Amino acid sequence: MILNDALVAGMNIIGDKFRDNTIFVPEVLVSARAMNAGLKILNPVLADAGVEPIGTAVICTVKGDMHDIGKNLVKMMIEGQGIRCIDLGVDVDPEVIVAAVKENHAQLVCLSALLTTTMMGQKDVIDALVAAGIRDDVKVMVGGAPITQQFADEIGADCYTLDAASAAKAAKRLILEGKTA
Amino acid sequence: MFTERAITMVVLMNASERFKRYLSGESVDRMPVIEWAPWWHLTVERWKGDGLPAEHAGYEELQAYFGLDRCLQTGVSCKTGATPPPPGNGLGIMEDEHDYETIVRPTLFPKPEEMFSEAYFDTLSATRERGDTIRFFTVEGFFWYPRTLFGIENHLYSFYDYPELYKRMCEEYADWLVTLFRYVFSRFRFDFMSFAEDMSYNNGPMISKDTFDEFLAPFYKKVIPVIHEYGIPVFIDSDGDITMAVDWYASVGADGMFPLERQAGVDVSLYLDKQPDMAFLGHYDKMCMKHGKEAMRAEFERILPAMQRGKVIASVDHQTPPDVPLELYREYVSLLFEYANKVTHKEGGITPCPVFLKQ
Repeated sequence: MILNDALVAGMNIIGDKFRDNTIFVPEVLVSARAMNAGLKILNPVLADAGVEPIGTAVICTVKGDMHDIGKNLVKMMIEGQGIRCIDLGVDVDPEVIVAAVKENHAQLVCLSALLTTTMMGQKDVIDALVAAGIRDDVKVMVGGAPITQQFADEIGADCYTLDAASAAKAAKRLILEGKTA
Repeated sequence: MFTERAITMVVLMNASERFKRYLSGESVDRMPVIEWAPWWHLTVERWKGDGLPAEHAGYEELQAYFGLDRCLQTGVSCKTGATPPPPGNGLGIMEDEHDYETIVRPTLFPKPEEMFSEAYFDTLSATRERGDTIRFFTVEGFFWYPRTLFGIENHLYSFYDYPELYKRMCEEYADWLVTLFRYVFSRFRFDFMSFAEDMSYNNGPMISKDTFDEFLAPFYKKVIPVIHEYGIPVFIDSDGDITMAVDWYASVGADGMFPLERQAGVDVSLYLDKQPDMAFLGHYDKMCMKHGKEAMRAEFERILPAMQRGKVIASVDHQTPPDVPLELYREYVSLLFEYANKVTHKEGGITPCPVFLKQ
């Protein structure tokens, strides 16, 4: 009840208000910080009770790109949906992402890019997932300032969202769809 | 008695004069044709491969090579060589009041007279007398400056964690800016100045209007009137979607904004509706350039009505990407001149920027 009706429900409200530009980045960050503080207390209790995350996502900013505020926002919002996040940081090689997906049995890869010069790094990751033979095992979600739905379609991503709140909801949907597929 | 050449020189304006008239709402021979930012080094490298002679690859040399109005920036910071560098990209050099007091503040705020030589002002004045260069002066804004000290993420927390420290830092910075501006602008009148902010992203501003009003506005209201005393227009440089922020900056006296990134959904015609006094620089969608001449012409056609009804200076809405070949950039410059010549404002009805309204 504390998790679903308070923390997750609260972050859903924060996400909607952020999407609608009625609250802004600092408010999302302090809200997510409060939620994470709550989760630190709750996690041992949930583990003892056998409650598992609904899935696992690997998240990072792609090779050549050092920007992480957008990625961090998406990560916090995704964690607010009850999804375990493996954060690989910024400037991450495709091979590292593939290895993390395998090691953590991730159902979702979330890729951020802020620069027009690095956005093609998202395609490199998808290509690497194909080359590793695990593309069909994982959904790929892309985002960042220069990213558009058209670009996401061109590189073969499964999902593009405009903002962090939408990304979190899409992440949950993609993982749950994968479980029922 | 005028010779034919002399008459031509009277009709053609120099870059500085044209820029001021454009922002004053007066008629011009054409819109200023400038690149406000240095070209992306990756793009220049690519152009060298496309045949750009190496001796033309510098910032000023490229402006001359393409025949643009010369536009040069003087950028300064309140930090010094003693200020600790950030330990990594986006990371801060302080966390709290103690760090600011002991590590950071003692290294800040150099005396203006120690920052500039008289020879530098002589150089600026010489180009002004020739009139062939638009000179602009840039400092960090009241969002950007604390971010460089706190680091990107902690800066965003600081509005809640260290509000009084934030205001103290900006108050001290604003005091230093006032001293700096009086020293510099009494020696040379720049054509415009810019505050580096980057306060917005592709979905809007990073902070709320309330946060802007509490943490940024008081300091802008302190320094912008000082800049205006010298007749210098103030631009705010913020990437991303500034649709909300443009009104906030107008409320503190800013005269214009750039670069109005199309990719972030910006539509300058909406800004002209709500802030007709302001000038806007940029807005030409850099992402269209790789698609060829017709795509570039279509983008100019999109902006032309705004150029003709307001003080819009069309220019690449940041830096030309490296996927644009040299030949296509030449086509862009050719089109830029073609469309610049369609904008003379001779029919009137253009309102001056706030700084010129007050004069």
